[in-house]
Amino acid sequence: MIRVIPRLDIKWPNLIKGIQLEGLRVIGNPSDFVRDYYQTGADEILLMDCVASLYNRNGIHDLVAKVAESIFVPICVGGGIRTSDDAKSLFRSGADKVALNTAAFARPELISELADKFGAQAVVVSIEAKRISDDNWICYYDNGRENSGFEILDWVRKVEQLGAGELLITSVDNEGTAIGYDTQLIELVSKNVNIPVIASGGFGKPADALAAIKAGANAVSIARSLHYKNLTIPEIKQSLHSSGVEVRLT
Amino acid sequence: MSEVQLEKRESKMGSFEVPKRDVIKLYNLPADIHYCKKCSMSNQRPRITFNAEGVCSACQFGEYKRSKIDWDLREKELVELCNKYRKGNGEYDVIVPCSGGKDGSFVAHQLKYKYGMTPLTVTWAPLIATDIGRRNLDKFIEAGFDNVYGKPNGQVTRKLTNLSFVHLGDPFQPFIYGQTNFPMHMAVKYKVSLIMYGENGEVEYGGDMKNAHKPNRDIADHDKHYFSGLAPEFWESHGLSKADLMPFMAPKFEDIQKNKTAIHFLGYYKFWDPQENFYYCQQNTGFMPNTERSEGTYSKYASLDDKIDGYHYYLGFIKFGIGRSTSDSAHEVRDSKITREEAIQLVKKYDGEFPKKHLKDFLEYCQITEEQFTAVIDSWRSPHIWKQVEGQWKLTKPIWET
Repeated sequence: MIRVIPRLDIKWPNLIKGIQLEGLRVIGNPSDFVRDYYQTGADEILLMDCVASLYNRNGIHDLVAKVAESIFVPICVGGGIRTSDDAKSLFRSGADKVALNTAAFARPELISELADKFGAQAVVVSIEAKRISDDNWICYYDNGRENSGFEILDWVRKVEQLGAGELLITSVDNEGTAIGYDTQLIELVSKNVNIPVIASGGFGKPADALAAIKAGANAVSIARSLHYKNLTIPEIKQSLHSSGVEVRLT
Repeated sequence: MSEVQLEKRESKMGSFEVPKRDVIKLYNLPADIHYCKKCSMSNQRPRITFNAEGVCSACQFGEYKRSKIDWDLREKELVELCNKYRKGNGEYDVIVPCSGGKDGSFVAHQLKYKYGMTPLTVTWAPLIATDIGRRNLDKFIEAGFDNVYGKPNGQVTRKLTNLSFVHLGDPFQPFIYGQTNFPMHMAVKYKVSLIMYGENGEVEYGGDMKNAHKPNRDIADHDKHYFSGLAPEFWESHGLSKADLMPFMAPKFEDIQKNKTAIHFLGYYKFWDPQENFYYCQQNTGFMPNTERSEGTYSKYASLDDKIDGYHYYLGFIKFGIGRSTSDSAHEVRDSKITREEAIQLVKKYDGEFPKKHLKDFLEYCQITEEQFTAVIDSWRSPHIWKQVEGQWKLTKPIWET
């Protein structure tokens, strides 16, 4: 079963959206969008706090608590998780998974700590990959602002070994552009790990999702096309279904 | 700024001495630092003013532009302006200064494709161009524009960069000369009377408000606003010849007048929002942000075409306590992209970060040592902005402590 996952980047109290993780536009009230996505068949919801690292605190708890009351699909929360206590308090607020990025570079063993404590299925490692050549990518962090120096394969193998349960692979180059996922990137990662891969960054039409799935993605994350209401989840799922992809139809 | 007092000597790199600067006097700054109640800007920005409620002129203008201006009417004024200048015979009818960045590209694209003008875009070369800047300029030209690229004598530019860094505390002056004067040369040469810039920085970001309600600017203000009171001719006293300096100078005043040259700002006619320009150019002119943020700030899409510009911003931080992150965040607060609270966190995290990435290039380009570089920097530290704490320079009154 392939999952369709709306991704909501949050700068509390707003849902925001950029292009290549830059020029963040204020879109609206995140709770309204989450509710709409849940009702129209989202398989999971991805909430990413983009300023958590900046404030050294996690401001997304209230939102998680609020939406968790009324939606009944898994919620994955990223941004500002530095310790096992940070993760615990998000789980208490109603998150089902946490996504690590900046903190995973600062202290990779956090991945193992969280996997041991909460189970690998609850630990997603979020990777912002910037293409540097025809067949290589570098991992960025802090919303695509800082270069970690890690090449993509070195990093995904390392985080898998440390116990990550899933990878969220965002193409910085394609993010917010609606030109399609970076399928080469998705294929490279999928072939080299044994954990599920969520493709992120670039969705513009259902055929893009299909291409990412063919490249090995287990789930597709979509932001721009949904937030700007160019397409709905049922339209995307229906199209995937007609192409022979197994999706949950509501 | 009042005329900078300069010692009339050739700077000798061997026996390097830099006089201590009186920054307060040179830039006419208030001795007591305070911050705008609405954004992250301080009263140390030259020419900025504050009202009785402690709100800066840029925020006051921002409020005014959001609530009082009839933008439909302004657009009609733009159409009239274009009708007045449009030639319709294939000749250029407007000069658009453009580096290939999001702002100039937006202006050129709108004028050509929305208002039916025939722009000649003109680019004054960066001192040391970056790959991403060059790429964006190429993509912009590919998107359908004629462009003339002005690149002055490398030896002279280098020398002028050295002189302006050592004497004015800003390596960017040669670029600013060309950026201001080259479009006027092209206007005269191609017999184009209209030059269209993006926003009026003085008005949008805080400064002299005399042009806030005007679509154009007076060419006579150039020396005062852009050249620190020193026109390019000044540098003849530092061993550069008239021929060396000619490309940096303005055209003869009578030629400018004979050409009926008029400088207008699109920001007067259309609501100016740099972030929306980014979206527009990403769609229309192939613009791409940088791969990582610029040193000293959090943004990836502004001022990214010159390896020297980090030092220009860094000197601004030293002189006024206003770094790149302060400037970027202040206008993003005015544009409702971020809150003042977020701006303060961004300033705390990024402002004044030393631009080390291109330091080697910069020192080589200026032909100075790191010690000389530091001596120049420190000569611009005013005691009302800087204090020494355990051997480290600290701001006397950073925004996050107010």
